[in-house]
Amino acid sequence: MENNYSTMKSISYTSNRHRSFLKTWRLAVISILISFSAFSKNTEKIISKFAVQQSVSGKVSDDAGVPMPGVNILEKGTTNGAMTDFDGNYSLTVSSPDAILLFSSIGFESVELQVKNQSYIDVTLMTLVATLDDVVVIGYGTSTKKDITGAVSSVSDEDLNQGAITNPLQQLTGKAAGVNITQTGSEPGSTPSVRIRGITSLLGGNDPLVVVDGIQGNMDLLNQVPPSEIASIDILKDASATAIYGSRGAPGVIIITTKKNRAGTSSLDYTSTASIDFIPKQLDMLNAKQWWEQARINGVPASTNHGANTDWFNILTRTGYTQNHTLSFGGGTNTFNYRASVSAILQDGIVINSSNKKFIGRITATQKALDDHLTLTMNLNSGINNTTSSVQSIGRAAFTSNLISNAYVMRPTDPVYDNTGNYYMDPNVFQYINPYAVAQTVVNEGQNNSLFGSLNAELELLKGFSVAGFGSWRKTDNVNGFFLPVKSTVAAAIDQNGFANISNSRQDEKLMNVSLKYKNTFADHKVDALVLYEYQSQTYQGNYAQARGFFNDLATYNALQLGDLSDVRPGDISSYKNDRTLASFLGRVNYSYLERYLLTLSYRRDGSSVFGANNKWGNFPAIGAAWIIDEEGFMKNQDLFDQLKLRAGYGVTGNQQGLYPQNSLSLVSAAGVTYFGGSQITNFNITQNVNEDLRWETKKQFNVGIDFGIWDRRFSGSLDAFTATTDNLLFNYTVPQPPFPYGTIAANVGSIRNRGLELAISYDLIRTDDITLTLAGNASLIDNEVLNLSGSINGVPLNTDYVSWGSNSFLIEGKPIGTFNIVQHLGKDDSNAETVVDQNGDGVIDQGVRSPDRVLEGSALPKYNFAFNPSFRYKDFDLSMVWRGSGGNKIYNGIKANLSYLENLGKSNVLQSAIPLGIYTSQYGSDLWLEDGDFIRLENVTAGYNFSFDDMKYIESVRVSLTGSNLLLITNYSGIDPELNLSGGNGFGSDNGIYPRTRTIALGLSVKLK
Amino acid sequence: MRLKNLLLVGFVGACFVSCTDVEEQVYDKYPANEFYGSEEGADVALAGVYAKIGGNWDGVGYAGADNGWYDLNSMSADEQVIPHRNTGDWQLDFARLYLHSWLPTDLIINNTWNWLYSSIFNANLAVEQLENAGADQSKIAEAKVLRAFFYYLLMDDFGNVPFYTENNITVEELPQISRGELYEFVVSELEENIPDLSATKGGAFYGRFNKWAGYALLAKVYLNAEVYTGNPQWQKSLDAIEKLDEGGFSLHSGAVSDTNPLGYKYYELFGDVLPEDETILAMYVTENIVSRNIYTVRSLSGPHAQEVFGFSGWNGTIVPSAYYLAYDDNDIRKAQYVVGEQPGNVTYSLEVSNLDNPGAAPYAGVRNMKFYPVAPLDGSGASNDFPIFRYADFMLMKAECYVRLGNAADAKPLVDDVRVRAGLSALAAAPTLEYIYNERAFELNWEGHRRQDMIRFGTFSAANKFRGVSAAYRTLFPIPTSALDANQNLEQNPGY
Repeated sequence: MENNYSTMKSISYTSNRHRSFLKTWRLAVISILISFSAFSKNTEKIISKFAVQQSVSGKVSDDAGVPMPGVNILEKGTTNGAMTDFDGNYSLTVSSPDAILLFSSIGFESVELQVKNQSYIDVTLMTLVATLDDVVVIGYGTSTKKDITGAVSSVSDEDLNQGAITNPLQQLTGKAAGVNITQTGSEPGSTPSVRIRGITSLLGGNDPLVVVDGIQGNMDLLNQVPPSEIASIDILKDASATAIYGSRGAPGVIIITTKKNRAGTSSLDYTSTASIDFIPKQLDMLNAKQWWEQARINGVPASTNHGANTDWFNILTRTGYTQNHTLSFGGGTNTFNYRASVSAILQDGIVINSSNKKFIGRITATQKALDDHLTLTMNLNSGINNTTSSVQSIGRAAFTSNLISNAYVMRPTDPVYDNTGNYYMDPNVFQYINPYAVAQTVVNEGQNNSLFGSLNAELELLKGFSVAGFGSWRKTDNVNGFFLPVKSTVAAAIDQNGFANISNSRQDEKLMNVSLKYKNTFADHKVDALVLYEYQSQTYQGNYAQARGFFNDLATYNALQLGDLSDVRPGDISSYKNDRTLASFLGRVNYSYLERYLLTLSYRRDGSSVFGANNKWGNFPAIGAAWIIDEEGFMKNQDLFDQLKLRAGYGVTGNQQGLYPQNSLSLVSAAGVTYFGGSQITNFNITQNVNEDLRWETKKQFNVGIDFGIWDRRFSGSLDAFTATTDNLLFNYTVPQPPFPYGTIAANVGSIRNRGLELAISYDLIRTDDITLTLAGNASLIDNEVLNLSGSINGVPLNTDYVSWGSNSFLIEGKPIGTFNIVQHLGKDDSNAETVVDQNGDGVIDQGVRSPDRVLEGSALPKYNFAFNPSFRYKDFDLSMVWRGSGGNKIYNGIKANLSYLENLGKSNVLQSAIPLGIYTSQYGSDLWLEDGDFIRLENVTAGYNFSFDDMKYIESVRVSLTGSNLLLITNYSGIDPELNLSGGNGFGSDNGIYPRTRTIALGLSVKLK
Repeated sequence: MRLKNLLLVGFVGACFVSCTDVEEQVYDKYPANEFYGSEEGADVALAGVYAKIGGNWDGVGYAGADNGWYDLNSMSADEQVIPHRNTGDWQLDFARLYLHSWLPTDLIINNTWNWLYSSIFNANLAVEQLENAGADQSKIAEAKVLRAFFYYLLMDDFGNVPFYTENNITVEELPQISRGELYEFVVSELEENIPDLSATKGGAFYGRFNKWAGYALLAKVYLNAEVYTGNPQWQKSLDAIEKLDEGGFSLHSGAVSDTNPLGYKYYELFGDVLPEDETILAMYVTENIVSRNIYTVRSLSGPHAQEVFGFSGWNGTIVPSAYYLAYDDNDIRKAQYVVGEQPGNVTYSLEVSNLDNPGAAPYAGVRNMKFYPVAPLDGSGASNDFPIFRYADFMLMKAECYVRLGNAADAKPLVDDVRVRAGLSALAAAPTLEYIYNERAFELNWEGHRRQDMIRFGTFSAANKFRGVSAAYRTLFPIPTSALDANQNLEQNPGY
């Protein structure tokens, strides 16, 4: 089972010093759900003292000398056996001095030895270690690093980032080549985005599929996994690996395996971190004196100066705190084990009144039965996530952003309170808002409850042949309450005498699959085969209600009936329900010959309810092959390469994330109220056009890779090259009005190509028993190109190009997604209005999308990403760092443009940098605001010390660590942080004001009790 | 073991039959075919076209909200403008309209285009659904007249535009027709369908195209025929107005009123429910439910509106001083204007020094309360209905036709009626064209007719306080850049 592997992985890293001894050893068969401990001929550690006939006793310890309870001892060829007690002692009577004893414990190498004349035998079991034989989870099963043919990155828990972690992805940042994790700001509860091998889809379908212990879901499933309980993260990158997930495999797959307890042992661990969070940078705005000086210069009347000196940014922010606590415990015997944990992640944001509190409880249990032929595994995870957010989108008519960015807009001369002690507002400024009043009076609370569980049953029918069934059920409930009182100073609240709303949404996701597995070795041939049927159904339901006109603010959103019920408006009440189903058949064969030539074939057939009537089923085949060169005879005489493997794979994957239920149908929905026939009636609208051809996007990917290890594997790495083309690109294509009622239509037209190179290397500069210094890193180059946006919809040709994809960024055939096609800044005219270059000299600045006055100036998409992860250990002290960066991209600094036009001075503040520019107004979004997005960030520095307490009764070990995150940012970008939304969706790569990204210092403590 | 395998194979086999159902279920919407196929659905399709007339944000609608057809046609004329303020308020799009320096990328132009074409889509859908459902001929005619109304607005603003009457058409099949061709379509469609319209006034036909609204539209089209085609049709316009007269319309009273906040019954024409005697076609408004009317709250300054209505004003629209000063002091229609000292410690100055850079002083400019807010109201608008066609307009049009046909004597009583209602004396002599032009300004200000009138009378391009003579091509708006981007076959209007 996966759990056993992860146990092996979690303890395997301690054993570099036993490497020599392992070289002769090879992990044997690993099936998908059962792992057998392998046999070892190592007996040199067995200590025999004195001999007595037929009765034998002793103590079993692990390689660290810690006594091992629950170790299975079997007299070979009989059913006679015993188990070690809590102190690792055992005793049994054997049939004869020739008896052979088998000592086994999952996660350890088994030991087999003859009793001979010994009556007392102490045994040391060695932890299973195998760099080459590291288990890799490949989807519906596992393999070993040696046996895989696809591009898969695996990161086990000891390599994950440490510190103030609130989401598992933060642990993975910078750890895997081609896996780019972007955190935009540090709003409590916000999650990073991840893109695997670039942007391959346009309609938001770039999120990878997430699989947690076999349970499939989208990115929010990650939020329900306690970061400290993750044993390993495997990322399937190329199509030959992801095709097994068919119509959802194209954006890549992230597979998380959680920690399981080691069979036959008990554990009690407590880990925690506590951090303080700072704002490293804010925009430089004019202070009160400077503002008034500039206001006078620009003819702003004195009536706009209200005489105060307010630092709006400062009063809206504070020092944040993040805490993380996990208590986990487990125990069991060889046929039963469990692990339970409770985690709390508590965040107080750096903007006042923003916080996130997350609690997750989980339990997992494994039971074997029917003479170990049947294995049952159950998982149960329940989480509560409560968020108090600042307002996400608010502002005056001309400036809408998040609440904190509104602090920049405020004139520094405006007071916070007026003479009567109420929040200040200026009735002469259209839609004036006092952001401090908003932060203090708004109620914006979210509660998310999630529960998911799974049961897996695997029965071995014959040797190597097994049948398995898996079922999971996940339910998520969200409640969001919002209340905006009159005191908030927001115009909409004043108009409505305060308003409140509650929205409820529910997700119900069920999955079941049944499979047959066969695994066997015939002489030089090894076969591992799988056939599986899977059925998933997901139901989404929700409702929303809003009321206004509250007598007072006391009940906030908790009693909508206290509002003015005579004032009901269109949109106040709504509900929805929709669902999607996915039925799949899949098969996979892994074949290896002479342990040198590997072949993987997989095939999946998916049918989905969200596909159009003409395209209900899709087929997703893949092939992968590898050649393990170092096993070849001609490699025996060289000693440079310890490992050399060549991989190649091709596969077809799909992406259906961009398709929503009912997307392909022509539907009518309510659209407010109209007046007809002498009364107000509900108005109806066709909400979308029919498209019976609507289908998944098809991504065809070819990958070649090489894995190598040289100099006794001190230097190892992987290099992959790939090309991936997405066809049937799903997009809301721009169509003309007329004849279409709306400007866009959803259809499968066009294609995008991504080509890339990925390199991951690791070099042990120093490798002794006491000191290790490893320099590891990864880098990826990606070349994205929109090949084509034209095609036909319902048989009608469609010619699309130059599609607007954000502020001055476009989709242009032959260019990367988000290419800036922009007018060039020239200077100012007599009235200080910005002028731009008239490229074709016709005297007119044409701002059409294909205008000759626009020039191409790069893309919002980074061309390269890299990370450098040095780590150092001296005895019990360790130090690691993550440097990370990306570049080759441009950022349209929209908030800078907004805060630079002097025409706004009378009602708002401007940047210090706006003064030398002196631009009064502009009709253009010119390249004056286009900046390089290159950066290098010191993402994480962690120093830790491990204390071992061999002689203490209750404490086994203690680890203390100190982590600094985001300690340094090297960039030329003038905004607060160049790491912006890189989702690839419309508007990406543009900075319109973000929640600040924090700099944190975290103290970590981890205690293992005996 | 064997039995188990058999069971398993059987189970998997059964699955191939029962577990492959991936048909789509719809729970919370109506499939379009079923919905519009019914008789009720056909009616709803017609209501859906009317829903397009009411004003909403993002430039949707005929009037009532902002950034759409009304602003385009009113602010490019001489009756109102929103200046940029030296306090930083108000983007420059509105001032650009007044200064005749609008750009093909301007949002207001784009919004107007998109609104009109999505309205035509709805009208095409309604015609199709009503015909399929075998609906009453009067309803089919009503949908066709509505469509002609939207095409008339396109013809007036943009001239040479794409034309289609059935929705299932490809871009390649979509012709861009000339202003003259579109004129022929609108005229023939109206002549053919108006007789089938209902003659009912008010009640279920309040806010709808009955026969009288149909003739009113036809009269407008003929009145401007010279602009559209080069050939005047004054007699045909006169004929259409005579048909309209059969509907029995009259001027609403201009008497002093104790209940009307502006002091005269005249202003009931711009109130909550528009009086049946004079109103031919109204746009229905109930703030926050169906459409909105922002015109007074958009004009008044923050503290002034706060003091008078309880909600902060937008300090937006002003009336250029020349327009305001032309009114006679005895004219009851002058009561709608606001200048000088006001509640809320606000004093509006008569003049505006500058429209763009550095912009107008905060309280500069004459304000207007013609649509004196009626409840329900808040800071984002009020519930005043909007007069699309009212009889005073058609009396002045009739007078104009008489004068243009050389019969000024018959024009005089029509103009006199309008003047006397406004508290002025009858004319001493028969009216000239210039006189009628000015009377239209006094009577119909802020009702969205001014640009069309100025173009017909040849004054649109003339210089004013803030700009010189504008280029002749500005009498047509440019096809918006986004429409050209989406359809490469479209040809831009000359000059842009």
